[in-house]
Amino acid sequence: MNTRMKNLKKADKEVITAKETSTPTGKKDSRKIPTDNPVTYPTDFPQHESRLNTNAVGQRATRPDGRLHGLGQTQYIDDLSFTHMIHAKILRSEHSYAKIISVDTSEAEAMPGVFATLTGKEIPLNSFGPTLQDQPVLADTIVRHRGDGVAAVAAISEQVAADALAKIKVKYEPMTPVYDVVEAFGDKSPRIHGGDTNVYAHKVIKKGDVEKAFKECDHIFEEQFKTQMVEHVPIEPHASIASWDANGRVSIWSSLGRVTLGRQDIARTLGLSQAKIRLIGTPVGGNFGGKNEITNEPILALLSRKTGRPVKAVYTRADEFVSSTIRHPFIMDYKTGVMNDGTIVARKVNLLLDGGAYCSWTSTTMGKGSILAAGPYNIPNIHVEAHAVYTNKTVTGAMRGFGAPQVCFAYESQMDTIAEKLGMDSLEIRLKNAFSNGSASPTSQKLETVVVKESLKQASERFGWQEWKA
Amino acid sequence: MIKRGRGMACMWYPIGFTVMANPSGATVQVSTDGTATVMTGTVETGQGALTVLAQIVAEALGVSTDDVHIVSGDTDTTPTDYGAIASRTTYVTGNAVKLAAEKARQVLFEGAAPLLGVPVDQLKAVDRRIQVLGFPSKSLGIGEVATHCESVAGTPAMGSATYNPPTVPMDPETGQGKPFSTYVYATQIAEVEVDDETGEVEVKRMVAVHDCGTPINPMLVEGQIQGGISMGVGFALEEEILFDDEGRQINPNLTNYIIPTSLDMPEIEVELVKNFDPTGPFGAKGVGEPTAVPTAAAICNAIYDAVGVRITTLPATAERVYDALQELKKAS
Repeated sequence: MNTRMKNLKKADKEVITAKETSTPTGKKDSRKIPTDNPVTYPTDFPQHESRLNTNAVGQRATRPDGRLHGLGQTQYIDDLSFTHMIHAKILRSEHSYAKIISVDTSEAEAMPGVFATLTGKEIPLNSFGPTLQDQPVLADTIVRHRGDGVAAVAAISEQVAADALAKIKVKYEPMTPVYDVVEAFGDKSPRIHGGDTNVYAHKVIKKGDVEKAFKECDHIFEEQFKTQMVEHVPIEPHASIASWDANGRVSIWSSLGRVTLGRQDIARTLGLSQAKIRLIGTPVGGNFGGKNEITNEPILALLSRKTGRPVKAVYTRADEFVSSTIRHPFIMDYKTGVMNDGTIVARKVNLLLDGGAYCSWTSTTMGKGSILAAGPYNIPNIHVEAHAVYTNKTVTGAMRGFGAPQVCFAYESQMDTIAEKLGMDSLEIRLKNAFSNGSASPTSQKLETVVVKESLKQASERFGWQEWKA
Repeated sequence: MIKRGRGMACMWYPIGFTVMANPSGATVQVSTDGTATVMTGTVETGQGALTVLAQIVAEALGVSTDDVHIVSGDTDTTPTDYGAIASRTTYVTGNAVKLAAEKARQVLFEGAAPLLGVPVDQLKAVDRRIQVLGFPSKSLGIGEVATHCESVAGTPAMGSATYNPPTVPMDPETGQGKPFSTYVYATQIAEVEVDDETGEVEVKRMVAVHDCGTPINPMLVEGQIQGGISMGVGFALEEEILFDDEGRQINPNLTNYIIPTSLDMPEIEVELVKNFDPTGPFGAKGVGEPTAVPTAAAICNAIYDAVGVRITTLPATAERVYDALQELKKAS
């Protein structure tokens, strides 16, 4: 028996002994443990010295919330409950692109256990969005993707609310959708938000003269790269509780990661002063950019006003995928001019972003993606142009890196293509071109505290890059 | 046959919003026992932000992390904060809580100066004491000073401050300007094994060397990097939302949308580059998002090194790598 097994056995024994002592045969334990909470939490753990040392900066300080997470003591939205609280569900669109002719909630409302329903027409200002306010809280005239909500139900339980959704009758007049971003970018595509184009954001970064440099350089590399739609997949899906009180003030507990701006957005949609709203950001079970704008908070607030009860909604995993935002797919055309010695002299980048049904954080994603697109390299001639286009697909928004993982995939893949063609090592070509202190960025910002070369050297040393044998 | 390969990718990434103002406000109050309470509008999203903010305040006040309690994310009690987004919390909110703590500390210095018989600028806060510069024995406990400030002088030791990273708008035609206050840098190197018969890729090892300025809490920085790499591995090899012909998601569930589990994770070796940003709190910048940025590029470069196929469309699923290997065979 190895030591680890021995220790395990010993631990087992200790647990059993402890149980026997605390509950002597035939007698009830005097310490009453509530049956709905069989876990007793330790309350007298000493703190780790990393939290007790002065000169706090640089300490590997343990997290107070980490202990609570580990013990299951953290109160996420799903753990919160209020007296008379009821539950809401949202009906999603049956079409990718259609006019809404009518929404009939009468049969759902007549169901036992249903307290109220809500449609988009009942929302005081039915639009939101961090840049363009082009997204409805609940679609009332047009649905633009399958994740659009068209009606909501508040009921005694989640199950009753879900059953009631099936009783809501929505009449649609389907329109011709467009899913492909290249098609949506073209002249003949249906215009998802009207107007004369589906392009809703455009960005240019221009420095030097790329065309002239392409004529003068030794090699030109042209490649196209594409990335996919991905979801944040937080452990905790979007969740909120709203409680409207008799003073016309609403308290909202939400998994939102930004309460200041969240309250502004909620106030706008509800036509309510910000002073009438209390927004409480609960511990978030994973955000990664997906919880940076309001989702169901105004819906729950209005359902709470209608019913006089706290209303809770927790997205299912499917809701999370289809109705919350996801990462933008990019189509990236890179053209790079290089000299024989590996010096990059020009880079032209075209970015086409699948912007999904609504703007959300697209402008920011496109802006950061454009600024970063040429990579951390001293390139005198740069031309980046980016377009974001509506399609009848899931809404693309903020996600960890805001366009940077997409463009990094392209610029770093191409660096290796160039290195191979010129017979250079991957490390060598990067060190030759990388920014250093005082370098000018593609927007001509003078960069400080630049350590990209240091990171390249340090990583190569740690990895054993020079000694590597396949 | 299993082929091994290595690939590197470096990156740069900005801290804070693009040009747009993104302020954070904060209030710090030192209680009569020398512990402190901080009001911030940011929200803990699991990254450990509140611990980092507590460490920054503790450093400014000369107390320990455990002496600082953070009240966060409630519009009824906490000031403006543009949120846990854009890798901005350590830098922007961190600067705000540091400035607020320094104002509270100034009140303590003003209370302590006459008691210690020196001018205010001759004091420092260290080891839970207000101490005369150069005379460690001449000092008062921070709680004692806070009590004096509050119940004798009538000026509780508190301070409020805001911070917004300075930027210059970008020219609409050329994009020229200063969109961000600061940037971070990093390199990740991947070692992969590719099965050249099935196209299956396994990431064996990732070396990640990141810049975050001063690491306020090295353990949390390492945690961010490991988490970012797991998202990067998913982005590189597995994750993709698929649609049918009618715009319906085919795989909106965790059975068919595959994210990396612990068994898919490579060995991760993390190092930090020594750096100090004078514009950040105690030299700190940030680290949240950049950790997920170079991973996919490094992995795809390693796939190329292993089997000679250049994956230009993500994710590099076994099917996609297999198809590329077949193309390569045909061509040769």
